[in-house]
Amino acid sequence: MDEEVGATDEVFEVGAFYQLLTARLESAFGRRHPHWVRGEIAKVYEKGHVYVDLVDAGTTSSDTKRPVLNAHCWATPWAPLKKKLAAEGVTLTAGMIVNFYGYVDVYAPQGKIGFTIVQIDVQGLLGDVARRRAELVARLSAEGLLEANKRVSISPVPLRVGLVASPGTEGYSDFTGQLLNSGYAFEIVLVKSAVQGEAAPAQIVAAIEVLDQHLVDIICVVRGGGSKGDLAAFDDERVARAIAASATPIFTGIGHTGDESVADLAAHTRAITPTKLGEEIAAIVEDWHVRHVRAPAQRVLDAATAIVDEATEYVAERRRTMIFAVRDRLRAEQRHLASTRTSLLTHSRHLLSSSAQSLASHRALLGAYDPKRRLAQGWSIATTRDGKVVKSIDDVTVGDAVSVLVSDGSFDSTVNAKNGAP
Amino acid sequence: MSTVGDWNEAALELDGIVASFDEGEVSVDELFVKLERATAIIETLEARLVATKARVDELAPRLSRVLESE
Repeated sequence: MDEEVGATDEVFEVGAFYQLLTARLESAFGRRHPHWVRGEIAKVYEKGHVYVDLVDAGTTSSDTKRPVLNAHCWATPWAPLKKKLAAEGVTLTAGMIVNFYGYVDVYAPQGKIGFTIVQIDVQGLLGDVARRRAELVARLSAEGLLEANKRVSISPVPLRVGLVASPGTEGYSDFTGQLLNSGYAFEIVLVKSAVQGEAAPAQIVAAIEVLDQHLVDIICVVRGGGSKGDLAAFDDERVARAIAASATPIFTGIGHTGDESVADLAAHTRAITPTKLGEEIAAIVEDWHVRHVRAPAQRVLDAATAIVDEATEYVAERRRTMIFAVRDRLRAEQRHLASTRTSLLTHSRHLLSSSAQSLASHRALLGAYDPKRRLAQGWSIATTRDGKVVKSIDDVTVGDAVSVLVSDGSFDSTVNAKNGAP
Repeated sequence: MSTVGDWNEAALELDGIVASFDEGEVSVDELFVKLERATAIIETLEARLVATKARVDELAPRLSRVLESE
């Protein structure tokens, strides 16, 4: 049914109509009277001012009838708000659930009823950011991506170090300073990357991919301390996935003590600061150096000294032994000779003595058979003319002249008769 | 006089000479020959030891520098 139109109804010019509309809205909501509005960011655009399309959470863009609130925040109030959000690591992005505090306004030149943001519920946003981060971590974990890079084996001596960092920053200097002052020949292959801001995640991912093809031993992602906003790039899903996909171990040294990014969770090894990361890498090399160079060198030195000492003692001992052995042997021979000499002398003397006694005995025995003693006893010795001793009557014949020897001389005699023994 | 073998061979021969003295097997006629041989072996071993010590003394500081390096 057609609505009845009164002939006397007032007809508004466009401008007047907007004035009426504005007045009615202000009457209903109050002039610039703020309200809290919750919604999901469908679109966000910033160019000095920030423009946000807010929709009811859970609705989809395919729903052509879903209500959209064109909210905006003018540059002046936006600057401190943006700074505050950045300090907490929050950037307004599509999909976020936000609470905006603002008021309705009408922008006649474009025929828009909008919403001017004067405040944002940062704590609420942080809760949302935390929730989204937790969801990301859970998703990466479920896909096994938090452990993927941890399974990559690390070189025992990681001297070729790929570095994703921003030269000139404190984190870069702290990290490289540790390596360069370690005394080891680290080779640092730097791929520059922004480490904060919207461009950072894509650059970090690209740098990791480049270094992964560069045959470095490890890739270090380094960024010094900063606000959560400064470090937000390291909570980016793209960075975490790039780390998980890397065939090279990724080491992170991001932020201060207490900061733990999603990149840290996905990394092979995580240090709490760039300085610490440099220390830990130098320590890995130092440990290898100690175990494979210094300790063997010490063992070789000790063994060489021990062998030389032992050999020296051996030769000295053998020298002493030979001197004593020869001396003892010579002394033994001297003693033997001396003993033999003494024995010979004793035996000789004894032999001489016994010989003298034997001689005396023989002499006495011979004395008993001396012919003179027999002659003195009255015995006589008869000899023939040719001097033969007459021992038998057969040695003479009757008539032979014989000489008879007695104790005091001899006399001649003639054999008158021969008589046999009675 | 035959040449002296390597360290182990020489030490073995020297030990044998010393053992023969210990066991009283050395006659006076053999004594000089064995003493002369033992002396030759000892002098050879000492000469080798001096040379080895010199080399060790040369290398030890280099190894020490490895140990002292930070």
